[in-house]
Amino acid sequence: MAEKAILYDATKCTACRGCQVACKQWNENDEVIPTEENGVASKNWGSYENPPDLSPTTWLKMRFTEVEAGGKVRWLFTRRACMHCTDAGCVRVCPNGTLYHDTEHGFVVYNQDTCTGCGYCVDACPFDVPRLEKSGILDIAGKMSKCTFCTTPGLDRIAEGWEPACVKTCPPRALKFGDRDDMVAEGKKRVQTLKDAGWTEANLYGENELGGLHVMYVLDDSPAVYGLPVSPQISAATIAWKDVIQPVGWAVGGLAIAGLGMNWLVARANVKKEAKK
Amino acid sequence: MTHHEVEKYRKPIRILHWIHSGAFVLLFLTGLILFIPGLAFLAEDSWTRIIHRIGAAIFVVIPIIYLIINPASVGRGLKLAFTWTKDDIGWLKAAPRYYFLGDESGMPPQGEMNTGQKMWWFIVVVFGVLFVITGVIMAFFKTTAPAALLQWMVFIHDVSFIVSGAMLFVHIYLGVFHPLMTDAWSAITGGKVSAEYARKHHGKWYTEVTKGKE
Repeated sequence: MAEKAILYDATKCTACRGCQVACKQWNENDEVIPTEENGVASKNWGSYENPPDLSPTTWLKMRFTEVEAGGKVRWLFTRRACMHCTDAGCVRVCPNGTLYHDTEHGFVVYNQDTCTGCGYCVDACPFDVPRLEKSGILDIAGKMSKCTFCTTPGLDRIAEGWEPACVKTCPPRALKFGDRDDMVAEGKKRVQTLKDAGWTEANLYGENELGGLHVMYVLDDSPAVYGLPVSPQISAATIAWKDVIQPVGWAVGGLAIAGLGMNWLVARANVKKEAKK
Repeated sequence: MTHHEVEKYRKPIRILHWIHSGAFVLLFLTGLILFIPGLAFLAEDSWTRIIHRIGAAIFVVIPIIYLIINPASVGRGLKLAFTWTKDDIGWLKAAPRYYFLGDESGMPPQGEMNTGQKMWWFIVVVFGVLFVITGVIMAFFKTTAPAALLQWMVFIHDVSFIVSGAMLFVHIYLGVFHPLMTDAWSAITGGKVSAEYARKHHGKWYTEVTKGKE
């Protein structure tokens, strides 16, 4: 089956935050006003944006940005949730395969039961998305939580052939869901329309980033203006650690044990020889 | 036989060694399972993380307690370990023939610590400190430190793990299994080595401690 994707059109979004609500409701992430204990506490810092950040029970939130352009203030909206990268930093660093790719659709999914709460995914994510629960013994045993693309077992909308909850609820149809190829084509068409209308910086974000994201954005300006990394990368530390030093570590450990075993055989034979003399 | 033995490690040193190494083995194993996907299920629900932190606390506190009780001994040990002479270079050159073939003809006489033990001390001290610094940052600043910093802390922690882990194999092997290190185990358990072993393996030191006694 084809890879699937969400296409978010920032130029159509009204920031109603219906997606935030639908996400919480469908995924049974409690819809109480967040406090320190159950997420990131609500606070008033002069923005309609709320809650202030993603949390283990807030998998999706809209970020509001005020930008001054040509003497006018523009109010921009950015969808903040897992981008479901093809080359995903979180999957690379996960020690035990808790995070993995849904090979059928290309989503980044996880089995929370096996999560060790190490938090390496939090630091490896180029989009700062995964969050650790603050729970358990000494507040250090929390598990990771993030958007599952509505594929959480028992709450799997995709397997039913439905759209994700956020897409389903979006009133201005700023969110669309479908085969990734179709979404790319539709995004490109929309970008062309915007360019024709004078938005020269319009672009489709996520078509090729990190091997292709499964959440793509139609933007009327540079990703930087929307607070997105212009060129998201797997960090040097991730590569140095997982692709360089860990294989080296196994080699060093293996060679050490093999070398010592060899030494034992040789030295023992020589000691016996000496004893016979 | 008793009068033919010499004390190699005093009791406080042996207690320090065993508690500290016990903590290290605990830390080593609870860390190692994160790198073996088939065993990582043991880390589920973070129980091993709790054990890792208890081990870390012991790993840090025990040497500090020892330092407070007997700073002179720590100073003496560090001085021994970090003082290198031409005999150490000679040892490095002759060591392969000795450890493989049992040929001790080229081995220069050694002090209380031989060159190999000095290298092990160097690794324990340097990587022990690196372990603690990176570990403290990872444990206490997990939510506040920048992601890039935390990632490099994991990297350095892992490098320390690989180097000191591989050398730990060597250390255990030489202490327990090597056919020529006959008295190493009794030295660190009961504290004593035979005079014969001391004379052969730590010639300079043996001369010092027996001066005026025999």
